[in-house]
Amino acid sequence: MRVEAALSGPLENLLGRLLHYGTLAASGLIALGLALGVAWGAVGVGIATAGIALFILLPTLRVAVMLIFFLRAGDYRYGAIAGLVLFIISLSFYIGTR
Amino acid sequence: MQFGLQWWLFAVALGTSMLGGMLGMASGIFIVPILTMFERIDIHTAIGASLVSVIACSSASAAPFLKERLTDIKLAILLETATTSGALCGVFLAGLIPTHYLLLLFALILLLSAQQMLARRKDRDDSSSVKRLPLGMTLMYGAGLISALLGIGSGVLKIPAMDTALRLPIKVSSATSNFMIGATAAASAAAYFARGEIATSVAAPIALGSVVGALLGARVLMKVPNEKLRLMFTAILVLLALQMLLAAFGINLIGPKS
Repeated sequence: MRVEAALSGPLENLLGRLLHYGTLAASGLIALGLALGVAWGAVGVGIATAGIALFILLPTLRVAVMLIFFLRAGDYRYGAIAGLVLFIISLSFYIGTR
Repeated sequence: MQFGLQWWLFAVALGTSMLGGMLGMASGIFIVPILTMFERIDIHTAIGASLVSVIACSSASAAPFLKERLTDIKLAILLETATTSGALCGVFLAGLIPTHYLLLLFALILLLSAQQMLARRKDRDDSSSVKRLPLGMTLMYGAGLISALLGIGSGVLKIPAMDTALRLPIKVSSATSNFMIGATAAASAAAYFARGEIATSVAAPIALGSVVGALLGARVLMKVPNEKLRLMFTAILVLLALQMLLAAFGINLIGPKS
């Protein structure tokens, strides 16, 4: 119990920072892409699409960080749960590519 | 696509996301009706764009909740096994369900949102009662399915699931629901993105507008009389539901003729 209490704080901070800076980066890419789109169409669309991809990737990265964190904390039950969620999201992407 | 349309999409997303933020509700539910009705954008394109904006809003607003320790991250990851499974199932069904059934389902969800907007949530006293996890998981599976089909965050289904089935305090269930929405929407958006079904020209300005609106909305939270805003929102939700219902039967009153 003591271990869990000590570890739950850092994970929340880590996830908060990941989502905060990730949102800034993805929004920045989209803003840049839209601005460039006026002058150089294809380049702008490419950058904005990268921003969209980053947005979709963010929650997935968040689940991956949770997986690693739980495993390192020796919490294998929640590690397995995070692994399952990560697997389902990856499966969805895989199905889309086929 | 025209430059003017992108500004309009940005402005619409900013406005709805800001208003939604003031009332603590997700604005994803407005994006698909507005895009399909006023711009005659194909419903599947609208759903893809809406999903990206839903993820963007969830990520943009998650950090403060995490910092305040309001988000129950272990419960979130557990329930996400159900929401992402539902989303995966929704990806399969999305291509099979005819558009007018999607519109009908959308109208139903809009009415449910209107009802929730009127009936304010109350904290229950019997928080000591046993958590009904199986019921909660089932509702979460449904929320994920609806999210993938309609391109919404499905907070409208997640929050009652957490309030009634799992008996969580309102602040905790709101923060946890918001946190889960990102991964849930990512589970369907990943497939749509890989299929090339997310149109950058529509999704990019909407995602950006939603993030800016969500950040602004959080700042002006207390300055607007909440009751009037609530009634106005309920009216808009009912009107959109009626319009979706008409559209489901092939009647379109607003917007240019196709």
